[in-house]
Amino acid sequence: MDSKGSSQKAGSRLLLLLVVSNLLLCQGVVSTPVCPNGPGNCQVSLRDLFDRAVMVSHYIHDLSSEMFNEFDKRYAQGKGFITMALNSCHTSSLPTPEDKEQAQQTHHEVLMSLILGLLRSWNDPLYHLVTEVRGMKGAPDAILSRAIEIEEENKRLLEGMEMIFGQVIPGAKETEPYPVWSGLPSLQTKDEDARYSAFYNLLHCLRRDSSKIDTYLKLLNCRIIYNNNC
Amino acid sequence: MKENAASRVVFILLLFLSVSLLNGQSPPEKPKLVKCRSPGKETFTCWWEPGADGGLPTNYTLTYHKEGETLIHECPDYKTGGPNSCYFSKKHTSIWKMYVITVNAINQMGISSSDPLYVDVTYIVEPEPPANLTLELKHPEDRKPYLWIKWSPPTMTDVKSGWFIIQYEIRLKPEKATDWETHFTPKQTQLKIFNLYPGQKYLVQIRCKPDHGYWSEWSPESSIQIPNDFPVKDTSMWIFVAILSAVICLIMVWAVALKGYSMVTCILPPVPGPKIKGFDVHLLEKGKSEELLRALESQDFPPTSDCEDLLMEFIEVDDCEDQQLMPRPSKEHTEQGVKPMHLDLDSDSGRGSCDSPSLLSEKCDEPQAHPSKFHTPEGPEKLENPETNLTCLQAPQSTSGEGKIPYFLANGPKSSTWPFPQPPSLYSPRYSYHNIADVCELALGMAGTTATSLDQTDQHALKASKTIETGREGKATKQRESEGCSSKPDQDTVWPRPQDKTPLISAKPLEYVEIHKVSQDGVLALFPKQNEKFGAPEASKEYSKVSRVTDSNILVLVPDPQAQNLTLLEEPAKKAPPALP
Repeated sequence: MDSKGSSQKAGSRLLLLLVVSNLLLCQGVVSTPVCPNGPGNCQVSLRDLFDRAVMVSHYIHDLSSEMFNEFDKRYAQGKGFITMALNSCHTSSLPTPEDKEQAQQTHHEVLMSLILGLLRSWNDPLYHLVTEVRGMKGAPDAILSRAIEIEEENKRLLEGMEMIFGQVIPGAKETEPYPVWSGLPSLQTKDEDARYSAFYNLLHCLRRDSSKIDTYLKLLNCRIIYNNNC
Repeated sequence: MKENAASRVVFILLLFLSVSLLNGQSPPEKPKLVKCRSPGKETFTCWWEPGADGGLPTNYTLTYHKEGETLIHECPDYKTGGPNSCYFSKKHTSIWKMYVITVNAINQMGISSSDPLYVDVTYIVEPEPPANLTLELKHPEDRKPYLWIKWSPPTMTDVKSGWFIIQYEIRLKPEKATDWETHFTPKQTQLKIFNLYPGQKYLVQIRCKPDHGYWSEWSPESSIQIPNDFPVKDTSMWIFVAILSAVICLIMVWAVALKGYSMVTCILPPVPGPKIKGFDVHLLEKGKSEELLRALESQDFPPTSDCEDLLMEFIEVDDCEDQQLMPRPSKEHTEQGVKPMHLDLDSDSGRGSCDSPSLLSEKCDEPQAHPSKFHTPEGPEKLENPETNLTCLQAPQSTSGEGKIPYFLANGPKSSTWPFPQPPSLYSPRYSYHNIADVCELALGMAGTTATSLDQTDQHALKASKTIETGREGKATKQRESEGCSSKPDQDTVWPRPQDKTPLISAKPLEYVEIHKVSQDGVLALFPKQNEKFGAPEASKEYSKVSRVTDSNILVLVPDPQAQNLTLLEEPAKKAPPALP
């Protein structure tokens, strides 16, 4: 009788201990906002997602501009690389709006697909950019560090955009074809001028596309979250 | 012939050239494109610098083509942007497309083209300064005034739709200051400035910047005058208050200096020392004790009728040989002389005032009970003790030659200042009056007197003064006692001696004692108070000899060897503090 009682006591104590420990562990979990889609699908609110995405896209464009200016100052003075940069972006096949009216007339679904396509198409070039800048002789740290940062942030932005896309347009087909970059050989060419020209083109295109992404996101943010009343 | 014609043509051309050179005419110099700017990412304008015109009227044209197109366009608008400018309207503006722009200078002599400028509208954004800058001074009720700056976004920027993201910077300074105070605000179009210097004229400017682009120019200065207000008045008011308080302090110091002592006495009256009415200090100084005592005697002494209540409790002297206990007795005293001891319970009316310790000396002058003199240092708490008994020793009269008999006033079990509790339950260790000496000492101790103090007259207490500790017994000690108590330095015949059997002093240490009689030699016979019922005491003991004096100046009396019994003395002796000094 005694042993039973003691074992029951031990059991109840264990249970209590488990409950308490569970409660404590649960407190450690980051509390997220209310789950609109049920317990199995806790998500950050759309407003927060957009805020975060706008911040990241703004940051990426700042980094890209700085990187381009840095490169231009050091390697492209008087070389006329700009002339070669015309029509050199691999993403020019994407039908992106090119002024305010066009952008405002584009449906946000289309805009978001465009953003996603741009982000996806830049994964690969960014990776190679980092590798090739590292190998560039005398590559200043300013360019390299920014390249590394941009690559990371691009991945983060892509994740965020996919989440936004899933919330704004649930059920849309996720993958659409995106332009593929094929400029790697020109980054690796032996001819220094040709190589620098290829870098110049890539950085020029990166700057432009990051500007597009940033502008479209800010437009969407004001349209969806703030109802055109920013 | 042909050769002549060719050479003639060449000659004429050269002539023309030389003539034109002589005139200073030449094709224009290359113009230069200065900059292109877009105020709202929807239009843009380009400006160029013309070169030398070569002496001939020169026209400038701007031509451009877009990235990915081959068609060359000419500037749609040369006017809107001012001279030497080209304005591209919305229709002609594309973002994220490179424009290749060239300016051409044409005159009669030739055409000069500038270097092409590669322009992407995305990167040439420079807004106008913000518009409608308004300054307003707000005065909330319970706070200092603040400046409320408001403005609106610059022209040609579409902020609402989110196409143009803008940030603002405001700077302000007092007119005569050199450094600007800058504030940066993302997005909002108003600002509140709180820490303003009153009485200053403030200048305010604002500028803005797109999310990616150039800062605008500073807006024209706006100014506002901050009025002088309370903070300044506050300071002057406080200065005035400080001066006023300083003046008041000076006046007070002056008053204190002049009348310091009287003011001090007004605020903090000195503690009155015990005074004996009719007591002349100067006589004392002279050393004429007889005069002094005569002076005292002339007063209403011993106390009269109002002390009657207590006096009625006076001791009983029933010896046939009694001497006049009160050589000049008032009625009450004689009465008391024969009155049996009884506990007269009268009203408190007389007692109350008698019980007041501070009025001890006066009380006995007035018809008050001087038992209050024996009030212990413990204070008037014991006043209400109904069981306490009071013993008031009266100094013997000075006029009688026979000796002064101290009186022990024994109160009934009424409230009195003397905590002489009859029943043991009321025993307080502090009030362990073992003998008359205690009583006396306490009484005098209360008055704060020393052996030499002659203020005790009214207290009529036997004092076991410290001088008793000389160890002299008998007369000397008794003298001291009498001195202390009677305030008469008369060394003789203070203590009447009992002549015959004397009542016993009560075995209880807390008993009050009574003078039974005064013997011929002036030896005082002290007896414990007897219960009335038993009438005259029998087989009582007479304690008339001083055995010893203890630390606390308690006089321990022993029965006279002439007395019949000896034993009872032992008990109070035991109770007395044992150590001899």
